Amino acid sequence: MADSGIFQASGSVARQDRFRRWWTVIRKIGTYGFLILGMLISITPFIWMISTSLMTLGEAQGIRWIPTELHFENYLNAWREAEFSEYFFNSVQITLITLVGQVTFSTLAAYAFARIEFPGRDVLFTLMLSTMMIPAMVLIIPNFLTVTWLGRIGPIKWVNNWPALTIPFMGSVFSIFLLKQFFAQIPDELYDSARIDGAGHLRFLWTVVIPLAKAPMMVIIVLSFIGSWNALAWPLLVTNSPEWRPIAVGLNNFVDEAGQMLNLMMAGTFITIIPILIIYFFTQKQFTESIARSGLKG
Amino acid sequence: MLQRFFSGRRVRQLREYLTAYLMIAPATILVFVFGIFPVGFALYVSLHKWRIKKGDFRGLGNYLRAIDNLTYVVLFAIALGAIIAAFLILRRILARKREEQDRKAVWLIALPGAVVSAAVYTFIRWTVLLLPEILAIADEIWGLEKTRQLFMGLLREAVSTPAVVRAWWLFLGTAAGGLILSLAVYYLLRPPRFAAYLADFILAWLALPLGAGLLWVVFQDVQAAYQAALETGTDPGIWPQVITLTGGVVLLIAAWRLWKAAPEQQGTIPFLWRILSAIGLLIGAWLLIGELPQVIAAGDEDMWNGLKVTAFYSLGTVPFQLAFSMFLAILLFQNLWGSEMFRMLFFLPYVTPTVASAAIFRQLFSNRYQAPVNQLLMSLGLEPLQWVREPQGVFSMLAESAGMVLPDWAAGPSLALVVIMIYSIWTYVGYDTVIYLAGLGNISTAVIEAAEIDGAGSWEKFRYIIFPLLSPTTYFLSLIAIIGTFKAFSHIWVMRQGSALGTTDTFSVVIFSEFFEKLRYGYASALAFVLFAIILSLTLINQRIQGDRVFYG
Repeated sequence: MADSGIFQASGSVARQDRFRRWWTVIRKIGTYGFLILGMLISITPFIWMISTSLMTLGEAQGIRWIPTELHFENYLNAWREAEFSEYFFNSVQITLITLVGQVTFSTLAAYAFARIEFPGRDVLFTLMLSTMMIPAMVLIIPNFLTVTWLGRIGPIKWVNNWPALTIPFMGSVFSIFLLKQFFAQIPDELYDSARIDGAGHLRFLWTVVIPLAKAPMMVIIVLSFIGSWNALAWPLLVTNSPEWRPIAVGLNNFVDEAGQMLNLMMAGTFITIIPILIIYFFTQKQFTESIARSGLKG
Repeated sequence: MLQRFFSGRRVRQLREYLTAYLMIAPATILVFVFGIFPVGFALYVSLHKWRIKKGDFRGLGNYLRAIDNLTYVVLFAIALGAIIAAFLILRRILARKREEQDRKAVWLIALPGAVVSAAVYTFIRWTVLLLPEILAIADEIWGLEKTRQLFMGLLREAVSTPAVVRAWWLFLGTAAGGLILSLAVYYLLRPPRFAAYLADFILAWLALPLGAGLLWVVFQDVQAAYQAALETGTDPGIWPQVITLTGGVVLLIAAWRLWKAAPEQQGTIPFLWRILSAIGLLIGAWLLIGELPQVIAAGDEDMWNGLKVTAFYSLGTVPFQLAFSMFLAILLFQNLWGSEMFRMLFFLPYVTPTVASAAIFRQLFSNRYQAPVNQLLMSLGLEPLQWVREPQGVFSMLAESAGMVLPDWAAGPSLALVVIMIYSIWTYVGYDTVIYLAGLGNISTAVIEAAEIDGAGSWEKFRYIIFPLLSPTTYFLSLIAIIGTFKAFSHIWVMRQGSALGTTDTFSVVIFSEFFEKLRYGYASALAFVLFAIILSLTLINQRIQGDRVFYG
């Protein structure tokens, strides 16, 4: 065996009798048994969701597990009539705006914190880091007041519009922290030689640092995407019409209001999950690592 | 000198600074506006009656309503903490002075330090006075055409309110005084390590008035409460309560330290030492147990209920989640065929958007008899249950089916909460497994091989090597998970049902519903600060325990 797993017996030369061989087989079966049991528990709810989403309303409310016919039109109905298309595109817009803002601002700030010495740098950075332990529930009320105030005095609406849903999330301390850690490791010689070539900070950042930092940038993009796709409490507060309601809020309301239409509800649920699933299956490794590194899903 | 100032190097450096400030500006401004300023704003809101609009100043009223006299105890503790911090900083200054053999002139830095910290306080005062004026702009502009001119006019008006202007000049005066004094001390006396000493003195001068001020506030408030009670002829009994609770906590901490300081070896003196600390622990615990129920009875029922639910939720999820995931991680770590696939699927529930998976669970555990879980029960010959709608405690349900009746306090978490616990375990096992796999990867194979040569079996290997070596991971995960239960919101909000009678409302949900449904902004902010205090103290206690219990191989 090529691996160096800690459970592989390595010093068991002496006692290779039959009992031991049987024991290994039994253990292997047991191991697989538990793993398959765990897997079944993990995925059964999803299977039930998919199968219910393909049933007629009568079947979905009954006791069937498998639909007699596959009713794909449920997805069309959820998409069109239950307004999931609107929620979906709202979420796409919100997520993209947040993503662009957050990644741009965090990269710029992380670069300055990591590579330029300026007065007050350490104090500012420590102050920003200390905000990471403040629970969201402390911030949610004053931020709501701030956002309504801004909307009332300013030229654009904030509540029920994109600014309230995106702008507060564009300054992310965690992203800045993660990128700063990485940027600080880039050797100074690279910058010195770039400067001899006449490049300033911005140019150096764009042509040298960012291409080097693909992995951490990816982590930030994934985390920011999940963060705004999943958010519930804040969008619930700052949207009160379907116009800008993101899909998490839309689904939550649908669950409450149209509780009987199980098949449509499950179709809508699946629609909500799909984008995250696609990202998960394509960037599985970075995805797992980035979540594991942050532990920051709501 | 002028020439030096404008030399090429200087200009280049200034440009460098300017670039840096411009680069950090967007993110920093956003973090300040939506991450730091709100803490102060929330504190301000929590001191008022505030239902959508700002109402009267209530002082500690909101906190008293939530946790009753515990407010005084906590404020008392914070005040003591601030004073102790000031003392520690002074000691640090002394130690540094002795070590570096700095001159006496160092003590003169205390003077500019005091003025600078006074400037900080006057600045806070100015913002507190200005805030309501700024907030009022939104009301004045209501219905009018929003122009830049109008807004600037209103802003100018807000800033030039007499009280605000006075506060502003006071701040400017103290700030200028602080600056001039600092420069004077620096240039006239040239004390060594000026910046470090000045920073320490400022901190000390900030902490000292904070502690003193809090003590004064507590004293005033309690005094007022006694006055009010005198008129009605009742005894509020605040002082005894504050003293017993503070005494209880202090005794517990002191006895714990004494216990740890006891000499290791056997003998009469260490034995006496232990006895003494054990008595201290007992008395401290006794004081707390005797006094706390009264505070709880006088505090807000919803809030204490939220705490109880959160405690149940932690106890019912964290241990199971950790045990399952450790087991799965150890199975997966053997690098079997398909372990990648298993890991991916275990992680799936965690990845799924919370609202979506909670919506599925709400239907799986629906109260309808056709719902999958009820079908499963019926196929086993059992009665269908109400699940997400069941407010009754599970222990009392079990006892009832056995023909007994349990008292209320032993009822346990409601069945509705148990569904949420199951959901939570289902979601987080995958995440914990991934972290445990990383932890297992860090264990050196040499240790395991050595144990195998010594003849250790699988169980011994697990019990004496893997489990202790995983303890940092376990510690990390349990801390994250416990704090997570206090923050838990989305899935509970989706699965929450009116007929469960609030038995599923954890602390965060209680806060959010006070705010979102009952529109009590001030009170909800006060509750949020209680949550903040709990999370902070949990983190601190955990750090202590980590030092003692976690084994870093």
